[in-house]
Amino acid sequence: MSYDSLLYVALFLPLCLAAYRFAPEGWRRRVLLAAGYVFFWMLSGKLLIYLLGTTLLVHCVGIWLGWLKSEEKAAAAGVRGSERKAVKAAYQKQSRQVLMLGTAILLGILAWLKYYNFFAENMSGVLEAFHLPFTLEEKSLIMPVGISFYTLQAVGYMADVYWGKIKAETSLEKTALFLAFFPQIMEGPISRYTDVADTLFAEKPLELSNIQNGYIRILWGLFKKKIVADRLAVPVAMVFDHYTSYSGVVTAVAAVAYTVQLYMEFSGCMDIIIGSGELFGIRLPENFRQPFCAKNAAEFWRRWHITLGVWFKTYIFYPVSMSGIVKKWNQYGRKRLGRYVTMLGTSAMALLPVWLCNGLWHGARWSYIFYGLYYFTLILLGIAVQPARDRILTACRIREDSRVWRRIQITKTWVIIFVGELFFRADGFRAGLYMFRSIFEDFRIRQLWDGTLLGLGLQKSDIAAVIAGCIVAALAGMIKERGVNIRERLGESRLPVRWCAYYALILAVIIFAAYGDGYQKVDLIYAGF
Amino acid sequence: MKTKKRCILFFLILAMLLGAISFGMQRAAAGMKGGITGRSRSFAAVGAEPRDTLDVLVIGDSESYTSMSPMDLWKQAGITSFDCGQPGQRIQETCFLLKEAFKTQSPKLVILETNAMFRDPGFLTNLSMSIIEPVRYYFPVFRYHNLWRQILDGNTNTGRSVFKGFEIRDKVVPYEGSDLYMKETKDIQQIPEFVLSYMENIKKLCRDNDAELLLMSAPSPHNYNYKKHNAVEKYAEENDLPYIDLNMKTQEIGIDWKTDSYDKGDHLNLRGARKVTAYMCGYLTENYSLPDHRGEEGYQEWDNLSVQFFAEVDRRNTNAKK
Repeated sequence: MSYDSLLYVALFLPLCLAAYRFAPEGWRRRVLLAAGYVFFWMLSGKLLIYLLGTTLLVHCVGIWLGWLKSEEKAAAAGVRGSERKAVKAAYQKQSRQVLMLGTAILLGILAWLKYYNFFAENMSGVLEAFHLPFTLEEKSLIMPVGISFYTLQAVGYMADVYWGKIKAETSLEKTALFLAFFPQIMEGPISRYTDVADTLFAEKPLELSNIQNGYIRILWGLFKKKIVADRLAVPVAMVFDHYTSYSGVVTAVAAVAYTVQLYMEFSGCMDIIIGSGELFGIRLPENFRQPFCAKNAAEFWRRWHITLGVWFKTYIFYPVSMSGIVKKWNQYGRKRLGRYVTMLGTSAMALLPVWLCNGLWHGARWSYIFYGLYYFTLILLGIAVQPARDRILTACRIREDSRVWRRIQITKTWVIIFVGELFFRADGFRAGLYMFRSIFEDFRIRQLWDGTLLGLGLQKSDIAAVIAGCIVAALAGMIKERGVNIRERLGESRLPVRWCAYYALILAVIIFAAYGDGYQKVDLIYAGF
Repeated sequence: MKTKKRCILFFLILAMLLGAISFGMQRAAAGMKGGITGRSRSFAAVGAEPRDTLDVLVIGDSESYTSMSPMDLWKQAGITSFDCGQPGQRIQETCFLLKEAFKTQSPKLVILETNAMFRDPGFLTNLSMSIIEPVRYYFPVFRYHNLWRQILDGNTNTGRSVFKGFEIRDKVVPYEGSDLYMKETKDIQQIPEFVLSYMENIKKLCRDNDAELLLMSAPSPHNYNYKKHNAVEKYAEENDLPYIDLNMKTQEIGIDWKTDSYDKGDHLNLRGARKVTAYMCGYLTENYSLPDHRGEEGYQEWDNLSVQFFAEVDRRNTNAKK
């Protein structure tokens, strides 16, 4: 049962709503928690044990850290001066060790399940290269659904308690719900405790406006996923799975199509997920903010999979930036290398682990590592050329906010995104390189309209549906970019207008979605990460 | 109260909209006949048949429509039959296809091929099918929503079901296993619970529409065995239904697995299907009083189609001999 299935939208959600509605006061949270576990069980069966274990561990570590904090306070209250500092330092060391233990266990499980085989395969290759008589056998390891998402949430929670940003949660039920709220299980968003705690635990009674808004958002998500993304999955798979048979325009179109597919699918699922939360009055953090309006790679990542970016920024970028080694580099650099080089070095030191982790988080493949390093290089390059670029712009009297310059920047960012996604989707790094090179071979622009694209498994009708769906989604994005909340605006409009819009959306999904005869079910891409 | 009324009105209008679009699409689907592809084809095809012209409906999974040839049945006994089967048909589809057929037809006999009775795709798929099939039945827009594609793409007449649901498959891929695949045993294969509950619906449907229900197992060493035979036999006995297992009569029918199999004993080919139909024709005329419509007013289409069918069969046989 995935979020875009009939079972989820038309049965699971209404059942959860009914159970929530009729649950006695104080039991609503339990209903949501039970729904989360049922949902997880249906997807991963006995592997639910991983989620339960993580919940218990995180809860205990949180309480342990909280207890150490209160102990530290009490111990420091009675002493002054250097002794106070020493007491605090001792407690902080203990807290750090506790945090390290919790983090190591969680990341260890993730690493074992997700990266062991990758490690074993590469290690065996190295051992073989040195003619050493050892090999690491690959194991058949099954990952529970959403482990990459809930592990990050869990680590973030423990770090927040350690830093004193939040108090340790004393209710196991709340900790469990934080990690197992069913709409988030498969694809995130990766919430921080402070993002969701106020509404997730509020046990608000159901409200018609929430249900209405929630379902509208769910329908919008289905529109993107089922009308556009699922159709594009066919030609994308055809080209990427048989990449040696294609080149030039077709490969370029496949890269663009995959980018659109990924966006429509992931953002569509986020709409379904966030809409599902809204039904219960629960606000989940947004994961997308018109990413194709970004002017550079860094801004793109502030608009695309936002919660993952925020997580890496909060729990990797900042701690690394504040670490001893970076501080030492800063001191050394300022004295001997100048501000520019020091700044560049600092940025590189803080960004490298972020982007390495970003690549690896998506999966154990060299192409994902390349994907992370690709953005690392581009963002660092952006920082490096910023001063020179500013000078050139001033000299040429080009205004940063001028429409033409903005368009040029957006177009450049699109190219960056398309190339990145080509490597991301390709079947390995070598395949990505082959595909990238092949774009420049046999490049015949007329293939765009001479029927070649129709040989990729899509009918004219499918292409028409994809184009129409993209236009509608682009228009909606442009309106949102101007700060207009379409749903709110629609809610304020006259009833016939509002209802007509709702009916149009419902009928568009029912009639034009890619389901039924001639279509295969397309699995959620990010659920596989 | 005002909000409740608004809600009711909203869903009422939505239901009306869906109903209106469904009506239009179903009409269009019936008009397109063979233009409908995939799983909806059987629904559209049976719906497109002239009202009250079919006396026998053959239903089930691919074993059903690869075993019974309506044109042979017509030629031999003037019985009007239709293959409504779908590949891998689930029992929910069987039930609602039958319901759909009864809207326009009053068959005297429904032949249910029993392989579908053992299909269990798992709890979630069953649940999903149990929701989607009624929704598709009451709002056919969910079944035929892809019609706009065929109109836009211009392929409204592809692969039309010209032989009353029967496709000519003359390829021969012999079954190399033992002819004694029906090894006697007392074991019984369990018929899934949800299938039994849908079988109740199917029985009631037939009863309400004055149609007799016959359980038939088509010859298939790949799919059938004695455990399944025992299960259906027991079910038939308990429910007072006639049951004919053709796997037990392959010698009588004259099945030669070297020449009559389409895909290594999974399905019968044209040759095998014609042998089974000839046998079933005798069985039906002996046990049921089905009218002979040959030469009757309003059944010329059957004659025309029969001529086409046998011409095609002859052409294929000639090609095979070459």
